[in-house]
Amino acid sequence: MHFRLSLILLAAGALQLGAQGPAFDEYQVKAAFLYNFAKFVEWPPGTFANANDPIAICIVGQNPFGSTLEDMVQGKTIGDHAFSVRRLPDTQQASKCQILFIGAAESKRTRVLLEALKGAAILTVGEIDDFSAAGGIIGFRLEGTRVRLQIALETAERARLRISSKLLGLAEIVKRQQ
Amino acid sequence: MRLSLVLSLCVPIPSSAQASTSRDLTQLDLEDLMNVQVTSVSKREQKVSTAGAAIYVITQEDIRRSGATNIPDLLRMVPGVNVARVDHSDWAVSIRGFNAVYANKVLVLVDGRSVYHPVFSGVLWYALDVPLENIERIEVIRGPGGTVWGANAMNGVINIITKSSKNTPGGLVTVGGGTAEQAEGLVQYGGKAGKSGSYRVFGKYSNLGTSDPVGFAPAADSRHANQGGFRSDWDLSPRDLVTVQGEYRRVEGGETTTGVLSRTPPIMGTFAQPIKDNGGNILGRWTRTFLNGSDISLQAYFDKSDVAAIGVHDWASIGNIDFQHHLRLGSRNDLVWGLGYRVAANRFGGTSLFALNPPERTDSLYSTFVQDEITLTKTLWLTLGVKLEHNAYTGYENEPSAQLVWAPTNRHTVWISAAKAIRQPSNIDTGLQATSLIVALPQGAFGLVRVFGNPNTKVEQLRDLETGYRAQINRRLSLDVAGFLSFYKHLQTTEPQTPFFALSPGPPHLVIPFIFDYKAHARSYGAEAFANWNVTNRWRISPGLTLLNLSASRDPSSQDATAQRLPGYSPKRSYQVRSFMNLGRHFEWDQTAGYTGRLAAGIPGYVRLDTRIGRRIGESWELSIAGQNLLTPRHAEFPNFQFIEHMLDQRSIFARITVRF
Repeated sequence: MHFRLSLILLAAGALQLGAQGPAFDEYQVKAAFLYNFAKFVEWPPGTFANANDPIAICIVGQNPFGSTLEDMVQGKTIGDHAFSVRRLPDTQQASKCQILFIGAAESKRTRVLLEALKGAAILTVGEIDDFSAAGGIIGFRLEGTRVRLQIALETAERARLRISSKLLGLAEIVKRQQ
Repeated sequence: MRLSLVLSLCVPIPSSAQASTSRDLTQLDLEDLMNVQVTSVSKREQKVSTAGAAIYVITQEDIRRSGATNIPDLLRMVPGVNVARVDHSDWAVSIRGFNAVYANKVLVLVDGRSVYHPVFSGVLWYALDVPLENIERIEVIRGPGGTVWGANAMNGVINIITKSSKNTPGGLVTVGGGTAEQAEGLVQYGGKAGKSGSYRVFGKYSNLGTSDPVGFAPAADSRHANQGGFRSDWDLSPRDLVTVQGEYRRVEGGETTTGVLSRTPPIMGTFAQPIKDNGGNILGRWTRTFLNGSDISLQAYFDKSDVAAIGVHDWASIGNIDFQHHLRLGSRNDLVWGLGYRVAANRFGGTSLFALNPPERTDSLYSTFVQDEITLTKTLWLTLGVKLEHNAYTGYENEPSAQLVWAPTNRHTVWISAAKAIRQPSNIDTGLQATSLIVALPQGAFGLVRVFGNPNTKVEQLRDLETGYRAQINRRLSLDVAGFLSFYKHLQTTEPQTPFFALSPGPPHLVIPFIFDYKAHARSYGAEAFANWNVTNRWRISPGLTLLNLSASRDPSSQDATAQRLPGYSPKRSYQVRSFMNLGRHFEWDQTAGYTGRLAAGIPGYVRLDTRIGRRIGESWELSIAGQNLLTPRHAEFPNFQFIEHMLDQRSIFARITVRF
């Protein structure tokens, strides 16, 4: 009897807690952010040799997106630029990237990768906790079930990237350490 | 540095298509995107999902919401692990059978430092008092881990990993009190050290009352513990990370033992035995990471302890150094190899009733291992490895393993593995000289049962086959199942020798000698399963199941009738369900209900119900109240073991305030 009562209570609790919106896979959302960043960041003049060169999104090491990112940017353009998605083993060929993503699986070498990219006009995006403090530009952070952004503005300026105030307004601005 | 090696080795995630939804997220603007709810498999789970071993990860969230005040209580949530409280100081914790006080077939590490005591051949759980708030995660690997972790990682490895001091800035004060754990407090402060470093220092106090005894045995298991420690992490450069950490503890407790009080005159008794433990350790680790993802690390630690328990006294000093090199060779090979050296010096202060011969020993252990994870295809990985060790008792030993992982999509993983592992002998196995029992003989005569170590020792061996399946069935449900078949040989037995009369010391008496030998074998099979079901965004339930069928037998030449009773100390089955609810913004209500099957050694099955209510007040305050064993006033979890008399685990309540500033 007691048991049945507690079941009913549990069921009632479940109903009350159930009302929530749809949820997406974390990396679908992060892929959409990467696409959006391209709209709100301006690379220094001369970045693109030809006016219709694609914006290269590079993923270093392990790729957590599967084919989501390719599928998402397929056929999309920003101005005259289409997109290309590339995978790199390290930063040696990173000079042709406009956006460079370093996933959580590469956490151990994230700092080393960032050090090698210092000053390059590349929008680095990463997942380790202190990514923007460690020399990266945009860090993803999960707050409960939502994705939050941290931006190291000074690092972006040093890389000669201009980030629109709209994007900055939605992010937490952090300072680089060291 | 051995910490989380399994995880770092098992990272490849197959890059097959993810389930896409009809709504195109690129149509959303930035603000909307920030409000999209995401379902994430945590980074850790993602790594675990392609590991070729049975792994369970206890996260900091699990720890916080468990209501537990000690590490053994936390381990109750892990399928395949059997945790039994013997009294407030002694625990029996084992994986896949062979449970015992000082269970000797499981290796426990804190940040890569082994806490396996070389003389007690097991873990002194009361001394393992890491502040739970500082634990980042606990990885429990069921099944042999000898290839990477070496001897004694036979039935499993428990890897406790503390947070970097970078992640614990500011102050932390917890104050708690309750009925069993009477008072507990932690004071911690952390911050930056220079431009590139960080630190934390802490002090901890805890005080437990006595348990309820069985019958008329005196309860002596109250315990006071003081502990202090620090950790400091330094980014010397982007590629060099240095960690230095250390701690010191003073524990005063007790236990109730039954044994021989005196040979002349012959007296046995049940009495209160004090436990005193002073110990500390210091550990340093340097890791250098290279651009291509390779890394090297060097770790050294020194551990000193002075333990008085079960009527004996032991001083141990352990020095340990490990080097490890992880490298990516081409696109297919992820290789790790390492070298290790360990020296353990022991001085045993025995009595005429319990001595070691020789009382002082210094043993060295050399080891090397190599393990290669080979990417065979985009969805198939083969890991091969072997460890070679040289120990002071049996010389060279090897511990090979092979794992095959198939992940056809990133939602499903199937793995199989085969491995060999060993338990290495200790000082007790070769040098014990104990008088354990007095038996009355006709006409007022008496006999002494004496147990002797055997210098001609062997390693206990395990050959093991396992398979498992992991699935992220949908956004809300994940499942993990593992099954195993294990063959043990050369398990320790206690063989009777020919009795003889002795005239000294004291009155003439009969000596009934026993000697350790390695004449038992065992076979086990079983399964563990658990699931995580996010019923709603605010309610998660996690059921778990453990099945174990262990049978032991002795060689025809063995006369040890107790060998067959070995399986009687582990339950054949246990089940549990954990529930985590977020009620509103600030309230949490969590429960664990679990059944543990009976022990043939004389403990009936029991049901535990634990509950916890937590309330967050602002950013910095948290109140929680937890009740354990709510269904019954008291129950026994483990029988008397060797000398130690078991107590009863009580219904208890514990309340705690946590403040961060």
